[in-house]
Amino acid sequence: VNRNGSPHTIAVFSAGAAKARSEVMQHKAKTFHDSENTFPQKGQIEIPSGPLEAKEWSKLKDESRRVRGFEDFMMSQMISANSDIDVAKSLLVFAAKEQSGISYKLLLKYLALCVRQNQVAEVCDVYDIMKNKFKTFDTGAYSLFIKGFSLTDRWRDSISMLETLKKTITPSPVNYGHCIQGAIYHKDDELAWALYDEMLKADLTPCEETIQSLFNADPDLQHETFRNKLIGVLDYFRDHQIYPKEPLMQNIKSWFESIPNESWKGHLSTVSDTGYCQSCKQQLESIHLMPGEYMTLKDVFLRSVIEGHDTFRKTTPQELQEFCQFVKSRPPYDIVVDGLNVSYLTTKGPRSQTLLDVVSSLSSGGKRVLVLGRKHMLQESRIWLRHHMNLLQQRADCFFLDNISEDDPFLLYASLNSGIHCRFLTRDLMRDHKSCLPNAQTRRLFFKWQRGHQLVLPFYTPGNKVHLQPIMCYDTIMQRTDFSWHIPYDKMGVDRASFEVPKTWLCLQKKH
Amino acid sequence: DVKSEPNETLDLEEWKSILKSGIESYETKKTETQEDPSLNGMRELVEMWRLAGRAVPQSITTEQLQVLMELPTKTARKKYLKYLSVREIIKTNQKEKKKELKESSKSKMENLDQFETKEGNPEKKNTFLLHVWDKSIDTVQRWKCAQAMKFGLPLVFDMVYEKYMSRYELENTVCQLMESEGWNRRNADPFHIYFCNLQSGGPYHKELVKRYMGAWDNIFITATDKPHVEMFPKEQLVYLTADSPNELIHFDPTKIYIIGSLVDKCQQTGLSLANAKRLNLATARLPLDRYLKWDVGAKNLTLDQMIRILLCLKDTGDWKKALSFVPTRKHDGFVERAASK
Repeated sequence: VNRNGSPHTIAVFSAGAAKARSEVMQHKAKTFHDSENTFPQKGQIEIPSGPLEAKEWSKLKDESRRVRGFEDFMMSQMISANSDIDVAKSLLVFAAKEQSGISYKLLLKYLALCVRQNQVAEVCDVYDIMKNKFKTFDTGAYSLFIKGFSLTDRWRDSISMLETLKKTITPSPVNYGHCIQGAIYHKDDELAWALYDEMLKADLTPCEETIQSLFNADPDLQHETFRNKLIGVLDYFRDHQIYPKEPLMQNIKSWFESIPNESWKGHLSTVSDTGYCQSCKQQLESIHLMPGEYMTLKDVFLRSVIEGHDTFRKTTPQELQEFCQFVKSRPPYDIVVDGLNVSYLTTKGPRSQTLLDVVSSLSSGGKRVLVLGRKHMLQESRIWLRHHMNLLQQRADCFFLDNISEDDPFLLYASLNSGIHCRFLTRDLMRDHKSCLPNAQTRRLFFKWQRGHQLVLPFYTPGNKVHLQPIMCYDTIMQRTDFSWHIPYDKMGVDRASFEVPKTWLCLQKKH
Repeated sequence: DVKSEPNETLDLEEWKSILKSGIESYETKKTETQEDPSLNGMRELVEMWRLAGRAVPQSITTEQLQVLMELPTKTARKKYLKYLSVREIIKTNQKEKKKELKESSKSKMENLDQFETKEGNPEKKNTFLLHVWDKSIDTVQRWKCAQAMKFGLPLVFDMVYEKYMSRYELENTVCQLMESEGWNRRNADPFHIYFCNLQSGGPYHKELVKRYMGAWDNIFITATDKPHVEMFPKEQLVYLTADSPNELIHFDPTKIYIIGSLVDKCQQTGLSLANAKRLNLATARLPLDRYLKWDVGAKNLTLDQMIRILLCLKDTGDWKKALSFVPTRKHDGFVERAASK
């Protein structure tokens, strides 16, 4: 049961809500994080600004009192400071003359510095040296070489290194990304798309940069099939509910606008609560599930969330049966209320009072309400008054679960069972129940249904009117018609949690 | 001494020629070629990871490589390699310590020999006690355990959780079971330990036989494949689980307590509570919050901590003493109210 609500008006599922909530909570609790302790680091040595002689290096080494790993430490410092490559070279000369010699680790770090600064000639030299010395490399070295070579004439080497990597491990999306970028840069679009397909087959999510490089590809490559494949990328985004970040969104926008013979025009836009794009006034896709999807979700939900592997984990079979019969014997409900969650909305007054007030205001419009609670609520106490509970049972149907059963799954099931018009009221984000679902596809279905059906009462003061947050009636998902595209994207500087959706849209229109 | 201008005499490419000249000295050691190529590739990769300074073991066996290959993800592989490297380090450290100890005792003996030859035969000390050897302690403990088998309070370990655990978790559980048995044996008034639902030939049984080696058939516990509900009257049983809604107020010698043999590293909340619910047994949890200012960590304790707490409770009935076996990192001391009692 989530009690950490706060008075704000941001819809719970829109980007940045969790961040704002945590800020409010921090302010409330007046907790200030200790300013980061800045311990003077032991053995901190300044990086020389120019190359040093071996003698000078050995003097520095003595001063640092680091017997082992001095060279490695210095090289790491140089990488983080992005210092001049000549200094690193002079360190290598010193290391080569030393007893210990140049280790693989040191070479690797030097390579990282070269790749970072894009020193192509040096990367090639290091490659030749390492190739002579070692039969194979580790994954880190391969990744660096792939990145280092991908935009040079030796880009074919990076492709073959990707093949070598594949023999032992699955290459990372970044590895694939660099190879794709290399192929695109050298106008081998067939190879690029083959690698892209292979990456998706391995269940890897492509990086934003990779997609950017595809959209930015040379105009010569942008023939009909290439364009269709890019549309395929957008479809992949839609299917997996991936939202582009702002830079990629800009690339997509300019790509559309540059398509010859089709005059596309893009605008940044937002969408009204009623689901109309502010830029083109077109209505967006509805949030409601298709009847088939709805049935699947209902079945899967009962099977994996409530029953699970073991019905005793969350409830008992008797209770589940009793509940199913109860739900079946009544006509469908309009609103299902999480009694305990609602009663915790305010700390003022008895809990039963809060619950009764909220439920009365909901049912006043002739709505059929079901309240879920636990049996302990029926015991007379300071916070649960008997006459409030009696009144509550007159105004709404109630079902009281065992004290050790979980109430949320029952809430969701009752709401799913009542049909597509039924909504539920709780502040709980239901992330734990979402995670019980068997696969990503059903989790996405659940999230969509949740956004369309969860009523949220962000704050409540006794005696005041009940203000529910408006439910979005449109789905935040990439969508298209023959003459338009609507693409939600993540604005820079907005921290979006995984259970939130962006608020900003790119609206693309084709003139005809 | 930090120079701002590059030295004219400094040859920045010198390291390359040095490296190129010393090729032979760097060649990595040749590996056996009998292995199939994919294993060999993996072995080489592990070797290169070691050179790159990652946490991997110095040497790796073919079986370990096969386990490594079968792991599904990169993270799982990294974790396994780290585990192997840590284990290797511990082993080498132990070896070194043993060697040192051997040497020091050797030199001591030599000193003693010298001393004896100097002084001649020293007179034997007069004592009315024979040296108490470990063997006699063992005998006493076994005698007490045998008595407990006859007259002791039963304590049940429920062994039904085999299928919920990974290999590591199962190994950890068996370690904890052995330690619990050890603590019980050393107590003045041991429990009569029951391992209920223990499937012979199952993973638990296999691991226990392996770890106890020959001693498995000689330890004073009752291991049975029967469930606890068949061996004891149902109303006497109390299932101890951290998820229980009921607090254990005091240790009741007329009850039989059940501890679930489960190491739960992936938060399978409510697993043992579900079991107790299914069998319709009474449940209880330790009153940790009543007596301790809980700080971090889960409320589920290890099996050996549980048995030490129960042993202490049985002997003294003092919660404060009993809960001193809860790891101190998990709490901030005792609640004052309880301390004043």
